[in-house]
Amino acid sequence: MKQPKSFEEGLARLQELLTALQDESTPLAQSVKLYAEAAGLISYCKQTLDAAKLQIDEIDASLLVQAEDVQ
Amino acid sequence: MADYINVTSLNRLAKQVLAQCEPLNDLIVCGEISGFVRHYKSGHMYFALKDENASVKSVMFRSSAQLLNFQPQNGMLVLAYGHATLYERDGAFQLYVDYMKPFGAGAAQMAFDALYKKLEAEGLFAPERKRPLPPVPQCIGVVTSKTGAAWQDVQNVIGRRWPMVKLLLAPVNVQGIEAERSIVAGIRALDKDKRPDLILVTRGGGSKEDLWVFNSERIARAAVACRKPVVSAVGHEIDTTILDYVADLRAPTPSAAAELCVPDREELWQKIFILEQNIQKNIQNRCQVCYNKLDTLAAPQTMQRQKQAMQRREADLARLSDAVQGASARRFTDAETQLRHAAAMARSLNPYGVLARGYAMVEKDGAVSEVAGLRPGDAITLRGAAAQADCVVQRVHENAQEGTTL
Repeated sequence: MKQPKSFEEGLARLQELLTALQDESTPLAQSVKLYAEAAGLISYCKQTLDAAKLQIDEIDASLLVQAEDVQ
Repeated sequence: MADYINVTSLNRLAKQVLAQCEPLNDLIVCGEISGFVRHYKSGHMYFALKDENASVKSVMFRSSAQLLNFQPQNGMLVLAYGHATLYERDGAFQLYVDYMKPFGAGAAQMAFDALYKKLEAEGLFAPERKRPLPPVPQCIGVVTSKTGAAWQDVQNVIGRRWPMVKLLLAPVNVQGIEAERSIVAGIRALDKDKRPDLILVTRGGGSKEDLWVFNSERIARAAVACRKPVVSAVGHEIDTTILDYVADLRAPTPSAAAELCVPDREELWQKIFILEQNIQKNIQNRCQVCYNKLDTLAAPQTMQRQKQAMQRREADLARLSDAVQGASARRFTDAETQLRHAAAMARSLNPYGVLARGYAMVEKDGAVSEVAGLRPGDAITLRGAAAQADCVVQRVHENAQEGTTL
């Protein structure tokens, strides 16, 4: 199962999959494949939501202040 | 003919004299603006400063005027910083203003109003300028004090709602003389950095003076110049700053801003759940439809199979029922035999049967009695098979030893 680049992409793909599954012209074999993909994505999205932890980083703006002072 | 000087010399002389008067070279003059004109081409500002008794011509050149954070207007009381000298060409005594600020009560509000008007006139508050926030940001740049409550609030709210995001803090001073420059630098640094999708400028509540820096024109312009959407949240609900007007989104508090910046994890849980259910239902329906089709095709074969199965079960049933019947019949016969044996046994034990063989039974007071229990004079009945005799006991004596073994 290929991983989506991001949570949003996963969610968007799920929406697509649902639309395709709802389309009656999709052959059964294809539907089953899509379903398998959807199941993978659902567990990926849930896991992402579950496991997420806030990341914090800092940027040093004072360097920029000094740079501007020099100008 | 007396000595004379020309006008140029006169004015030059006067100017030299004035230049030697130290206080004139570095002045702060308080007065009311009147006759204000801004030269449309050069950008220089010409006006008079006056009080009840006097007035002085004043000029402020474009390079200085540009830096004003308010729009001077007639009737406004100001403090003007600069020097006074003679303009030689016209022999006019005038004030050269380098810097000006509104003076007295309401001056700050006046400056605010003036800046508001100025920026509004530039169209910086226009609704069509407001950019939408990214629906799901990957990284949020935060311009705030590292030690402030606002930063804590932002971390808490976002950590709860949407911990998938990265927070990039540009720690700045949010009050004091350095605040303006520091905040401008923070905004620019985060705008330059590739990571943030939006920039949140925030600080917690404070006095009007504490929050005043967020009315700075430089900060407002830094926010305007941002390529990324800017969210502002300064103080509480009631505090509105110039920054709030130019920001793409204004939030009443730091926590509220944090909520507006990210989606809610709970809602997405719900969304995924619904998607999951829909997908599940869909595939199930699909399968059901296919099964139904298959069933229709397979019906005759199924019928045949069912019939065979039925026959097999019928035969099984018959076998089973025979076995049950046989077993119960056997039990019945067994029980009958047992009963017959028991009846024969019972018959053989019948005391009346013994009487038929010539024995007699002693009865006293209507009950069978032992001979050893009798006393002389007792009235007894001797019962035989065919007759009975009423007797009176004459004597009772024990049998000889050998007689008792019978």
